Amino acid sequence: MDLHNLNPSSLKSRFTTRFLRALTEINARKPIASSSSPREIFQRYRRIKDAADTSMAYSVRSRRTWSKATLWRLRTPSHRRRLASFGRRSSLNKTRTTTTASHRGAVVVQITSRGGGLGVQLEELRELVPGGEAMDLCNLLDETAHYIKCLTTQVQVMRTIANLYSLE
Amino acid sequence: MELNAGAAGTGPHKTASERDEVAALESLQFTDEIRRLMSAPATDNASSFTALLELPAPQAVQLIHSPDSAKLTAAPAPAPNVDDFKGSFHYPFNSGLIERAARFSVFTGDGNINEDNKSNSPEPTSYNSSASLQKPVKSEPAETESSQPLVSDPTVENRRNKRKDREKVKGSTKKSKTAAKESSDDAEKLPYVHVRARRGQATDSHSLAERARREKINARMKLLQELVPGCGKISGMALVLDEIINHVQSLQRQVEFLSMRLAAVNPGIDFNLDSVFTAENGSLMDSNFPGMVMPMMWPEVQLNGNRQQYPPQLHFNALQQSVWGKEEVCNNYITPENSLLSYDSSGNSAPLHSNRLKMEL
Repeated sequence: MDLHNLNPSSLKSRFTTRFLRALTEINARKPIASSSSPREIFQRYRRIKDAADTSMAYSVRSRRTWSKATLWRLRTPSHRRRLASFGRRSSLNKTRTTTTASHRGAVVVQITSRGGGLGVQLEELRELVPGGEAMDLCNLLDETAHYIKCLTTQVQVMRTIANLYSLE
Repeated sequence: MELNAGAAGTGPHKTASERDEVAALESLQFTDEIRRLMSAPATDNASSFTALLELPAPQAVQLIHSPDSAKLTAAPAPAPNVDDFKGSFHYPFNSGLIERAARFSVFTGDGNINEDNKSNSPEPTSYNSSASLQKPVKSEPAETESSQPLVSDPTVENRRNKRKDREKVKGSTKKSKTAAKESSDDAEKLPYVHVRARRGQATDSHSLAERARREKINARMKLLQELVPGCGKISGMALVLDEIINHVQSLQRQVEFLSMRLAAVNPGIDFNLDSVFTAENGSLMDSNFPGMVMPMMWPEVQLNGNRQQYPPQLHFNALQQSVWGKEEVCNNYITPENSLLSYDSSGNSAPLHSNRLKMEL
């Protein structure tokens, strides 16, 4: 790895700046007491995780389905989310299964009939990648690739920060 | 699709509306192709390949590859100069477009010809000669194949397919298969996709589009295989997908554990950007660290090991103890994650710690 400064407009630097800002804000709100209950630590953990996911989704300059889905998941409260996702999922299932005459439906049927285990894995992948329920296979693979890239960046930066600040 | 609409005409004489439809759509493609020729720079293989993927399938199906370009790429100038590139392609497209335009002249008269040939240097002599050849084209496909080698158009073939026997078409595809190899090399340099019907494969637009889709999907799977470590050797979509799913799950879990670690950290100083960046550059751990793959380590062993390693640094020790103490408190409640965390940190902290020791001293 080269020792020059990071490219200021790279994904990594954007994420780092945003995440550090969010961390300082969280720390300012509730400074850690030396004896904090596990529940408080759990709350902090949730907030930090959400901050990390949000800052990652924001740093994605190009519009991506998974980033939109992440932000939406973190923004809307859960009861409204359940209603919306119910409507969304039912309409999706309708388009996917019933329309066999359509081109896309025929191809989807082909792919699932080709390998029995393939359908299960596709469903799993859809669950893992945020916003993956509403995409066809081609776009899903695209999104997965971008998502993996961003996750590795996130893990790298967070690990560096954790190492840096856990020993000082 | 208009190919089927055109082919659905029962006899060689189509209805005026169908002809107009086909002609109109084809003329749109002509202008598209011409514009693309003008504006497309010479791209290297990788970017043009991804550019290939962006095209929607039906459009890919419609684009006709002029086989004269195959001859051109065989002969001269492997150096991809932009102007040469553009110039060389003007030539084949003149004849290709003129032939298509000439074909339409048989059916529609003169409607589209002016539009199509406006940017090409029209060669009326060849235009007329090819127009005269069009009628024999319909009746004696073999002869025209020999007289105008590799002139086969997928659209013409499609129309012939629907009407005539398959053997002649297969024969023509066999001849064109020799051009297919050269055309496949060509396709990587061009900014758009040439989909050619291979021997024995159905040539209707649906299967062509499906084949383009499948190739897109396979290409993206290859990209994913490169991204996910250890996936290059695996063959078979199911196993590769398994690996991808495992990788994504492990990354998400790592994010959770790291955020839990950050939650337990007591930030003595404000979060400083510069120190993060320098630490980033000096960090020796890469993302392939199999934090989740390691079996559970006893946290106490790890902590003791850490403390013994750096006895002289007393103030560090005090902080360490406070940090580890907190993690030990958490241990009672969240044992497995913290064990992994401590393993993770002890693995990571050694190189960083040594760096900072050097800085301090």
